[in-house]
Amino acid sequence: MRAAKWLLPLGTLVVLLLVAAACGEDEEGTPTATGTPKPGVSPTAEAQAPPEQQEIIVQSAQPEFYDPHRSNFEQDIAIARMLWRGLYQLELTAEGGVQAVPAMAAGEPTVNGNVYTVKLKPGLKWSDGVPLTAKDFEYGIKRECDPAVAGPYQYLFWAGILEIVGCEAYGGALGTADEPKTPTDAELQALRDAVGVKAIDDTTLEVTLAAPKTTFTTVMSLWAAFPARQDVIEQYGDKWTDPGNIVTNGPMILTGLTAGAGGQVVLEPNPNWALEPKPALRKITVKFIDDLEAAFRAFQTGELDITNIPAPEIPTIKADANLSKQFIQVGAGRIWSVEMQMKDEVLSKYEVRLALSRAIDRETLVKVVYNDAYLPATYWMVQGLSGFQGNAAFEDIIGYDPEAAKKALADAGYPNGEGFPTLKITVTDRPDRKAEGEFLQKAWKEVLGIDVEIEAVDAKTRSQTFNSMNFDLFPGGWQIDYPDPENVLIGLFDTGGGNNKYECSDPDIDAKLAAAGTETDNAKRIQDLQEAETLIVTKLCGVAPIWQGAFLYLADSKMGGMKPNGQIDAAMPGNWCPECWFVKAQ
Amino acid sequence: MTAYAIRRVLWLIPVLWAVATITFFLMHAVPGGPFTQDKPLPEAIVVALNRRYNLDEPLWKQYLLYLWNLLHGDLGLSFRGDRDVAMLIRDGFFVTAQLGILAFLTASVFGLALGVLSALNQNGPLDYLGVFVATIGAALPNFILATFLIVIFAVNLGWFQILGWGGPEKVGEILDPSAWDVKKLVLPVVSLSFLPTAYIARVTRASMLEVLRQDYIRTAHAKGLAEQVIIIRHAIKNAMIPVLTLMGPIAAALVTGSFIVENIYSIPGVGRAFVEAVLRRDYAMIMGTTLFYAAIVAVANLVVDLLYAVVDPRVRYH
Repeated sequence: MRAAKWLLPLGTLVVLLLVAAACGEDEEGTPTATGTPKPGVSPTAEAQAPPEQQEIIVQSAQPEFYDPHRSNFEQDIAIARMLWRGLYQLELTAEGGVQAVPAMAAGEPTVNGNVYTVKLKPGLKWSDGVPLTAKDFEYGIKRECDPAVAGPYQYLFWAGILEIVGCEAYGGALGTADEPKTPTDAELQALRDAVGVKAIDDTTLEVTLAAPKTTFTTVMSLWAAFPARQDVIEQYGDKWTDPGNIVTNGPMILTGLTAGAGGQVVLEPNPNWALEPKPALRKITVKFIDDLEAAFRAFQTGELDITNIPAPEIPTIKADANLSKQFIQVGAGRIWSVEMQMKDEVLSKYEVRLALSRAIDRETLVKVVYNDAYLPATYWMVQGLSGFQGNAAFEDIIGYDPEAAKKALADAGYPNGEGFPTLKITVTDRPDRKAEGEFLQKAWKEVLGIDVEIEAVDAKTRSQTFNSMNFDLFPGGWQIDYPDPENVLIGLFDTGGGNNKYECSDPDIDAKLAAAGTETDNAKRIQDLQEAETLIVTKLCGVAPIWQGAFLYLADSKMGGMKPNGQIDAAMPGNWCPECWFVKAQ
Repeated sequence: MTAYAIRRVLWLIPVLWAVATITFFLMHAVPGGPFTQDKPLPEAIVVALNRRYNLDEPLWKQYLLYLWNLLHGDLGLSFRGDRDVAMLIRDGFFVTAQLGILAFLTASVFGLALGVLSALNQNGPLDYLGVFVATIGAALPNFILATFLIVIFAVNLGWFQILGWGGPEKVGEILDPSAWDVKKLVLPVVSLSFLPTAYIARVTRASMLEVLRQDYIRTAHAKGLAEQVIIIRHAIKNAMIPVLTLMGPIAAALVTGSFIVENIYSIPGVGRAFVEAVLRRDYAMIMGTTLFYAAIVAVANLVVDLLYAVVDPRVRYH
């Protein structure tokens, strides 16, 4: 039959695609980075080109949502922060650090026990000219916690981070997979009303926390706490972020959108942007290009002004007099490690983990696999965070030392690797990650005489493997959500922590993290976190750090006003302050 | 013939149902879901997201719900931005189809011309040129070809652009010359059409050579018919039958898009959307694009079968 004739090739096609999925591509768009901008920085220090030339084209991975409360990935957040601005914003300090400063807020919050009161600047407006009030912030935060919205970053307002009273109960109102709940509208309304955010009047917002936190202004600067317009959302439903519908309060507004792979958004200045400076750029076109090789070539043909580039192109760029001048490399808030399943009989032995860690020549790995794009690391708290301890603290304990590695393995009962079982290392099926896996495989074979088997899978399968804790060795890491050391530790290493899939469980670490979580003296808190890091790294509790990531950008030499910073950039150089960007006079 | 065509169209229904069913259960059998990520979301948030998209229902219920919605023409929402799958496919296909049709026309014109000329000049310089091009075209994967073309003609010579599609975005703009940007069209069309050009040229050449050796061609020569008439009216027409068989699947393949070419040139087409949907476990998009492709392939096959009758009067359908 004819139909049967089509069925076979079609069925084959479907099967092939699904099989391809099981050995596919690209890692998941990395959830997050942070931040927001810097008022009062005048971009006029350098001469600007005339207004008609103030248009640029920027590369980005494809975002999913332009709704800050549903933003989950770096590329979503990159756009959201250009369109919105919170009560506070992150900016650079004179020393090159990062701090939260008032944005829509008039000043620092007034703290009364657990209650934080924030006054808004007077006369604030939305992009359509409607006054921006404390009610919009109340609505925004409650919306993030709303189970119908299912804001992926609402856990920033849950226990452990900046616990806003009632947010977790409201967000978790639908129960768990084993015990689902179907609350009534009245019950949901009661839970919503119980969330500890309240507009006292048009310019006063009161936030009630479970306990005082020093990170209040930092977390309140993030996209999850951005304001939203109830009337607009109710009028347009899921289409509220489409051009023509969307109303924002940041420096830019969204005026054009072609959805999907290969699409783009067009951003233009918000005429009602309240802060200084006013955006110099008339138009920012953000093109969705996931393939960085394609983006790199489009930069070479002059079709892109700013792009991320793939590490393999670094030698080409450095060899080119013109490109090398436009190359920007900044350490990112991303740490990468070999994660080790602590419940595994073999890996539960400290000496085995030590042997594995000490057999890795991180410097050579970063050079041969990543063209020196990244920084070799034996630390976990990334460079740029307060409390950064660096390699000096840990290199001699877990760093490369083949003899010490051999000795540790012998101490574990496997002299020269004898009797050591074959472990599996799960990597994403893409060239650099497979090369990294092969590097590690070879290093462990040569130094320790042990075999590991590489399993290369697509990103979703890999994540599933990680989340189900069904792995032995797993190159993986953490991208910071906000520039505070607690963000790389809490939830990642405490017993039962949501991201602790390597099952690190150590009472000393738990105690330090718990102490840091409630400490209101910032210096003491940072010290607790440092001590926790020291315990985690020296005990190799589930992780053996190998490198710190970096942002690799090319930006046309005509670009001015960019202040790239690895802690607060989200996939674009200095896009925590898009209003600072401008095109220089030629 | 009409009854045959109608029967064939009706056959589409069970075919699409079978494709939908197989795809649905296969895609749910693959590890990882749409909300699986390295930074795992807290369980309560995953529960809320699943509830939002009805993923908390038992699989059979989700399947029936999908079929029910499908019967009502609702392909569902993509998890990537809650966008209507039907609209994403429509927009993507509009671009992919332009690229595909241009590539198909290019491949047909150059492939046929090259094949016919090769056959007529068998073992002559033109033949060697044709065979050379055909061999290169078949041997060079299009991502390598595209990279070469980009580096030479866009990066070094600066003749062409490589970012995005140079055709119109809306149907109404097709006849508007300002909606077309030749600088952006050339390289993707050449990259995509090179392999089918080579393929069509090879098959045309072989078929032409076979036909030219037939008795009726000799008879035509003996009758004293002009060379042109023999080639155009008798040889080419008959040589087209195997080529036509080939062109159906080629047209379908080109029009449904190429992940590689669309990716390299950042073209917002449906070919890319299909592959990305699978990698992202974007269920509604996987279903939508698969069904759409099934329909396209089926229709392309149908068209070819009907065209047989036009080219070869011996073929009659009942």
